[in-house]
Amino acid sequence: MLLRGENKMIQRKISKLSAIGILVILSILLISCGGQSTPTPAATAPGSAPSGATAVPPTTAATEIPPAQLTGSLNVLDWAGYDQSDFWIDFKNTYPKVNVSFEIGASDADIYSKMKAGDQADIFHPYTGWLQFYVDNGLVQEIDTSKLTNWNKVSDSLKKLGQVNGKQYFIPWDWGYSSILYRTDKIPGGVTSWNALMDPKFKGHISMWDDGPGAVTVSAYIHGYNETNISADQLTAIKQEWIAQRSLNLFYWSGEPELIQGMQSGDVWVAYAWQGTYAQLLSKGVPVAYITPTEGRNSWVGMYGIRKGSPNTDLALKFLDQKLGVATGNNVVNEFFYGDSNQDVMNGITDATLKKAFSINDPTILQHTNFTPNLTAAQRDAWTAMWTEVKAAP
Amino acid sequence: LPDQSMLDRRGTFWILALPPMIFLGIFFLTPLLLMAVFSLRPDLNGSLFQAWTPTLGQYGKVIGVSSYWHLLGLSALMALVVAVVAIVLSFPVAYFLAFRAGKRAGFYLVLLLIPFWTSYLLRVMAWKFMLGSEGVINSFLAFTGVINQPLTALLYNRTAVVVTLIYVWIPFSTLPILAALQRIDLALFEAAADLGAGRFQQFLRITLPLSLPGVLAAFFMVFIPTVGEYVTPLLVGGSSGNMYGNIIQDFFTQAANWSVGSALSMIMLSATLILVFVATRLINFRSLLE
Repeated sequence: MLLRGENKMIQRKISKLSAIGILVILSILLISCGGQSTPTPAATAPGSAPSGATAVPPTTAATEIPPAQLTGSLNVLDWAGYDQSDFWIDFKNTYPKVNVSFEIGASDADIYSKMKAGDQADIFHPYTGWLQFYVDNGLVQEIDTSKLTNWNKVSDSLKKLGQVNGKQYFIPWDWGYSSILYRTDKIPGGVTSWNALMDPKFKGHISMWDDGPGAVTVSAYIHGYNETNISADQLTAIKQEWIAQRSLNLFYWSGEPELIQGMQSGDVWVAYAWQGTYAQLLSKGVPVAYITPTEGRNSWVGMYGIRKGSPNTDLALKFLDQKLGVATGNNVVNEFFYGDSNQDVMNGITDATLKKAFSINDPTILQHTNFTPNLTAAQRDAWTAMWTEVKAAP
Repeated sequence: LPDQSMLDRRGTFWILALPPMIFLGIFFLTPLLLMAVFSLRPDLNGSLFQAWTPTLGQYGKVIGVSSYWHLLGLSALMALVVAVVAIVLSFPVAYFLAFRAGKRAGFYLVLLLIPFWTSYLLRVMAWKFMLGSEGVINSFLAFTGVINQPLTALLYNRTAVVVTLIYVWIPFSTLPILAALQRIDLALFEAAADLGAGRFQQFLRITLPLSLPGVLAAFFMVFIPTVGEYVTPLLVGGSSGNMYGNIIQDFFTQAANWSVGSALSMIMLSATLILVFVATRLINFRSLLE
């Protein structure tokens, strides 16, 4: 038995320790919460400046200053990974004295929300489907393509995708496919259609992308609906289809690493996937095939826009021009396995795996490809609501 | 002078209370009010600060969706299970620390808190490696020859979410119970023993009733945030392990539809408050605390 005094002392000690414990927990919670809300970029770009350095006078007389001497700063709202200097290396080499700082967006909706809330980024990076909103809300300015020396290297079909209401508001840059990816060892018979995602044979081994509009697109391909004009009845049918699919689906992926891990471990046999996943699995030696479904592939394109009212418009144009450079494009192709809008880059690909991933040897591939149409606000809201009801269904 | 000392005391109160009040006002109350305001906004068209006519349209849109209500009920049920199990598991730990660990109590407490040295996200990810088909449990079972095919039922379902959340909350729920147990005057046990009460009787009549304020604090500390949880289901829940928080998150991060997201948040907030209010009515707090 302990003595009273001794016991009291221990108690006091414990109380003190619990207080310290609670403090430790609170501080760690604060740190980890902070970590969750701001995704850490894969690597900090060398030469990037703190975002406070944007208040620099407009560089109107820039043409007379040699590029190597040009100073100023640019703020870019981009996706994690694209902040690495590899993906703007032409600009970095040509304009070494310009400070480029990055802010990271987690999704198209996140980037749109940030711009909408008054983000001061000079340049931002949305994808096909989301372009109309920026124009409708006056968040983007028309681009003077005569100032882009690399513009003639971009194909007309891609240029057109960057136009809204007949004006060139966006510069196409990275692009890729969405299609069905499957493990050839687990499904020796192969699959031919988007409805492989609904096949009960693959129960517990299917992974769909976590995205309402993506789900509508897949259903539209399978049933031959007009994706730009989905009726209320069709949307109800689509909802029922995905509710039924949920019991077959292992998890909805939201980022490529999640899907890559799932397919590599053998948990996932068949998935909705971008070709970045395909190329990365191939390079890891995982037996996978990326099909051209009978209904056709889907294709998406990443665009750069310049914020309306940006004080650095001239510099931003130079940045976008250099974004279209060959060295930058080669890095996109070789490191992320995405296509580049500069045709010289795509024509220069020799690697067999990459050629396969982009279907470069298939001259008819574009005929089998459905480009993602622009969403309207009503479609975006209705389709996401449909998707949340799929997730919430009992 | 008594008046002077009163003034001093009041001054001390404001000096101590004002900084946290300002902080909470700016970073908690204002966002909460903004969310309430946004839930009445018809859409996000136009500038954020332009005038608009308040509407209950967003509430109308989501109130009729039965699956949202179902998921809210399910999330509350999951939170209840998580809170109860976490308390049942952490009570013995707190009891041990308060009465049995002696001089080593501090050391054990630090051991309990060590998981907090890594981020919440990492600890949840660790469970993915525990439960996955190539994870620790499956590898061990395969190594020992118990199974040929990996068990897939461990991960990507609602049970995985509940198990992970219980793990995450155990240290949290231990602390308030420990604090309550420490406040018990040890003389009570001596008196009880003198009067012939056995160990079990002492526990039932002294330890348990006097620990209840801590137990209740632990319960609400776990229950309330768990209702709105979304990170854990996202990582280990798979397609069928979603919680209400994931629906809210989708409206903010996938649809950029702040109005509906805010309306859903306000509904969850109200529902949780009502549940807590009913619970406090059913349990007579005053008699517990006296």
